[in-house]
Amino acid sequence: MDRRLATLLQEKFGERLLTPVRQRYDESEIRVALQDATDTLRTLHDDPAFRFEMLIDLCGVDTGEEMQVVYHLSSSITGDWLRVIVPGLDRTAPRIASATFMWPGAEWMEREAYDMFGIIFEGNRDLRRIYMPDDYRSFPLRKDFYLADDASRSPAAGVRNMERAGTPADATAATVLRKSPGV
Amino acid sequence: MTQQMRPSLDDPRVAIPAESTWYEPAPTPQTERQAEFLTLREGEMFVNMGPQHPSTHGVLRVIIKVNGEKVVDLDPVLGYLHRGVEKLCENADYHQAICYTDPLEYVSSLFCEAAPVAAFEKLMDVDIPRRAQYIRVLTMELNRIASHTLFQGWMALDLGGITPILWAFIERDEIVDMLAALTGQKLLYNYYRIGGVNGDLNHEFMSRLGTWMSRAAAQIDSNLALINENEIFVRRTRGLGVLDAKTALKMGVTGPNLRASGVPFDLRRDRPYLVYPELEFDVPTRDEGDSLARYLVRMDEIKQSIRIIDQVLHEMPDGPVMAKLPRLLRPRPGRAFGAVEGPRGVYGTYAISDGTDQPFRMRIHDPSFVHLQLVGPLTKGNLIADTMAVMASLDPVMGGVDK
Repeated sequence: MDRRLATLLQEKFGERLLTPVRQRYDESEIRVALQDATDTLRTLHDDPAFRFEMLIDLCGVDTGEEMQVVYHLSSSITGDWLRVIVPGLDRTAPRIASATFMWPGAEWMEREAYDMFGIIFEGNRDLRRIYMPDDYRSFPLRKDFYLADDASRSPAAGVRNMERAGTPADATAATVLRKSPGV
Repeated sequence: MTQQMRPSLDDPRVAIPAESTWYEPAPTPQTERQAEFLTLREGEMFVNMGPQHPSTHGVLRVIIKVNGEKVVDLDPVLGYLHRGVEKLCENADYHQAICYTDPLEYVSSLFCEAAPVAAFEKLMDVDIPRRAQYIRVLTMELNRIASHTLFQGWMALDLGGITPILWAFIERDEIVDMLAALTGQKLLYNYYRIGGVNGDLNHEFMSRLGTWMSRAAAQIDSNLALINENEIFVRRTRGLGVLDAKTALKMGVTGPNLRASGVPFDLRRDRPYLVYPELEFDVPTRDEGDSLARYLVRMDEIKQSIRIIDQVLHEMPDGPVMAKLPRLLRPRPGRAFGAVEGPRGVYGTYAISDGTDQPFRMRIHDPSFVHLQLVGPLTKGNLIADTMAVMASLDPVMGGVDK
């Protein structure tokens, strides 16, 4: 755990951070608002005090109430990996600026997040489905996408949940959307 | 009764539409990049490769735009092996989630287990017994050797040599059998548990390992001599698909592919886990960044792995192999990223807990997925046959790419 990194992040981004810097094991975590995301990533990448030059991972998260995009960055200066969480994407039309301007390698990871969650990355030159077929309609990793092995909601019951985006009108308490707003 | 005449293509009355180059309706471009790819200039045509192509290491389809024999552009089509592992893990409890991750990369599945296990252990603040840590290092390094020897055979096979893969399988089979004696499974081991490993080392594993270690170095050296000095192999791979360090970092490349471009980034040393800080090993790098360098870095890693196994066998302490944990695990709400250095790069798992016994979100990061993006940029301007050499040297495994 790198305490110096936490102070540095706090100094540099101050009021931009939505929550204080969190540290656990060898991971530091910050949260920034949607409109600050690009600037924050650029500073983290370019500033000689940080030099977070490697994008280890980019993924989407559906908390049941909102969408998030999570970046994991690695620096050549500190051993800590930095997790940048951008919360507050609208669940009905999630949009965020692409990170491909800095890390071209993010292209496929953004395509994956689009494929699985429907998050639109503005500026990605090749934002189309990557795993699912082109004519597929729904987004499988969203929390309102039910798995077919839930017998009461299976195709045999006349409900094609695999193809349905959005909570079914006849959802019961047992199959209700799993939400975790605190995440 | 007159016989119905079938129209012949030679018949001038049969009209052949001029634009019928696609056997299926031509896809409508959805993005800027796809529109650029689908536009054919003078002398260009599309060649389809896969999904059932022997040298695509799984089920990968690549649409190649060629001009004569030269590759102009290519577009990999993924998803033939997509199983939705992330979704399945979100609907399983923490123990069950581990065995879903096993089949991701079937040639090095211990690493696919190690990453989620590391993430879950961080979520639950579990301390692993020292013996279990040594056993994990031992089995992971064995699996790394198995994967790299298979890579060696595969790469030679993709370049047209049959013999090396037979030789490579001698070593790989011995390791696989060894691990089968330990875990009960040949490929999908499901051996790591949250808090330790499934069982202690047994007699059969240890005796096989001892016999193998006594001849491993010499055997692997003779395998290397079979290929490393081969003029055809060297001339076909040297200077091919050069990846410079700056591009590699920007593309998110990790593992041997990054080290072959001269960046000494290795999680075992830079972000140590388990008992790696106590072990002595080098991080082999090369500066050339071409296909040959990527091959040679992996071969150097085999030697380092043998060195690590040797130390582990000397230093392994006695003791329990599992931490004491409740059967039903409910970690506190939180987030953790577990990562291990695998034979292809960083295997990562980002797990989010919401306090229940199932992970709320489980993201699996696979290095092959990132590396496959490079096939296009690295093969532009080369011959079609060299696409295979570049792809083989990047060593993607489609099970991991497609999740």
